[in-house]
Amino acid sequence: MEFAGLAAGIAVGFGVLGPGIGIGILTAKSSEAIGRNPDATGAIRTNMILGAALAEGLGILSFVLGILLWTRIG
Amino acid sequence: MDLLFPRGFTYPPEFHIPTLTGEPILQVGPVSYTNAHFTMLLVIVLLAAVAALATRTMRAVPSGLQNVTELLVQGLDDFVISIGGPDARRYLPFFGTLFLFILVSNWLSVVPLIGQVGILHSPTADYHINFAMAVVAWVAYQTEGFRVLRFGYAKRWLNFSGFKDGPFLGAIFVLVGLIELFSELFRMLTLTLRLWGNVLGGEIMLVVMAGLLLVPGLALPFVGLEVFIGLVQALVFALLVLMYFVLAIESHDEQPEEGAHREADRVPSSEQHPQASAA
Repeated sequence: MEFAGLAAGIAVGFGVLGPGIGIGILTAKSSEAIGRNPDATGAIRTNMILGAALAEGLGILSFVLGILLWTRIG
Repeated sequence: MDLLFPRGFTYPPEFHIPTLTGEPILQVGPVSYTNAHFTMLLVIVLLAAVAALATRTMRAVPSGLQNVTELLVQGLDDFVISIGGPDARRYLPFFGTLFLFILVSNWLSVVPLIGQVGILHSPTADYHINFAMAVVAWVAYQTEGFRVLRFGYAKRWLNFSGFKDGPFLGAIFVLVGLIELFSELFRMLTLTLRLWGNVLGGEIMLVVMAGLLLVPGLALPFVGLEVFIGLVQALVFALLVLMYFVLAIESHDEQPEEGAHREADRVPSSEQHPQASAA
């Protein structure tokens, strides 16, 4: 298990790439939407947080995988 | 130097990473009572005490604690109605309970000593408790779907209505139904892991930052970040459960007015058959 630490780092690093890009696009688009239609701020914000949480869930899955690998170190 | 570092200077210093689950403090046969259970008890006592104190002497013109509590309940009520309409008000107690419990638990994970000393461990940083909440929510919304739609609820998983338009479309509908069925099971898993990963990850990050920066006060900005993330994650867990309820009670059947001439409406076309505006 000497590569478990390396594997954990790679898993978390690559796993967080996708959600990071996704949340970036999501926030940019919802900022645009709020700029275009400030009256709909509440609904847009709720949807944004929901979508960010769903995208973040994937990153968290890789984080959990990293933790599982990290407990194998030693 | 000896006064500051009595055991010699080492970098990074020794720090205690929070454990992945609660540690048993009491064991009776196969059943163990962990420190996460104990902290959960503290959270429940705190919330119950606030509720009891706020409603002990009710006044028509509220003040003090009653005022704050009414503001909170009213805010949650407005939020639920803005998400699911008046029908969703039925789920306000479940939604509010989940939200408040998870919120207090998440915020406890930021408090010093919790997760560090033996008998305190934030409840939502233990995946058993998150999984229990996810299972309760899952069973509740499935039951609610069957209660409202009777056996029509199962149509979203076993959908054979496509076969009247040919075997290809029928097979696709059946496949989509199977994917729906699997996604129902994955909802439990993702609800659990999202909350657990966020809270435990936040705890680990705070400990590592405080350790690496040597001066604990320098990690204070991360405490603010964790407080925000705790609020967002509590909202997301409760909001997703509410959305599952709203999705479970909405019918996938065609509207009764359209059902009268279903044969003519075999090919849907919005120009030939404009829909009634009450959707």
